[in-house]
Amino acid sequence: MEVSKNRFKTLSEPVKQFGGLVGIIILIFLTFFVLNNIFGEGDELVAKMKIEEERIAEERKLNKLISSLPSGVLVSFDGTDNFKLSDELYEAVCKATKLIPQRAIMGANFLNFRAHEIYTINGNKIDETFVKWDDEKNKCFAGFVVSGNNVGVDETVKVSGEALSFLSTGIDTRVYFIKNF
Amino acid sequence: MKRLVFCILFYLLASSIAQARSTGCKEGNCDNGYGKWVYTDKTTYEGEWVATKKHGQGTETWPNGYIYKGEFKESQWNGIGILFFPDGSTYEGEWANGFMNGEGTFTWSDGKQKKGIWKNGSLQE
Repeated sequence: MEVSKNRFKTLSEPVKQFGGLVGIIILIFLTFFVLNNIFGEGDELVAKMKIEEERIAEERKLNKLISSLPSGVLVSFDGTDNFKLSDELYEAVCKATKLIPQRAIMGANFLNFRAHEIYTINGNKIDETFVKWDDEKNKCFAGFVVSGNNVGVDETVKVSGEALSFLSTGIDTRVYFIKNF
Repeated sequence: MKRLVFCILFYLLASSIAQARSTGCKEGNCDNGYGKWVYTDKTTYEGEWVATKKHGQGTETWPNGYIYKGEFKESQWNGIGILFFPDGSTYEGEWANGFMNGEGTFTWSDGKQKKGIWKNGSLQE
């Protein structure tokens, strides 16, 4: 021990300083290694961040596309006065759409009286709405869930169908027609 | 700061006046007679009115493409009427309380038809 001490003392000042610097760097690395093992999620966190980054990039791409669409009604079928969506645009608009306005819900309720009853009894309240692109069928599906007490009975009704038309406001898109027949 | 608040208030006032002017009874007599009413969501009704209610023959057009032409009673679709769906499908027949009730024919946009007695929007087998 004494010999090592003497040897250290005989070292030149720059070598001592360099040794100290290396020691501090190793200490910092070790500290972060220990902290990462205790609190960090490692590869899992990196994977999550990558997924989130991809999602944000996809959302930006969709938003850019939506803002380039003409304002008004966009349809996936042969409509005379409306903008006809190409297959590619139909999929993109479907993936970017989240809102279903009241008239689209009321229209779908024409073919589902129970849903209409619950919807009106509960003050036009909707529990949940969804717009999903089906990769297998190459179609856009949209729908909603209504629940509530109907003549003393708690009921939940899910209405869904093909989303065939959308409204482009210039800021966002909304499902305009759900074909549930 | 005061100027900004004033501008916001002025904008709100102007937009609410513009909104109020674009809705309501736009043509004719919407109390008793024939008139056209425009709702805030751009739904329109043009037809007969009795005691401020849609009553008689009329046409209701929804902004998302649904069009009902036919009889109204107490502001509801009631009597004989035809509903055009946005994709071109139609239902022609009897209505009660705003629903397909009675004899009617549903025609899909591809020409397929179903005819029969309907009850609250469902065909009775």
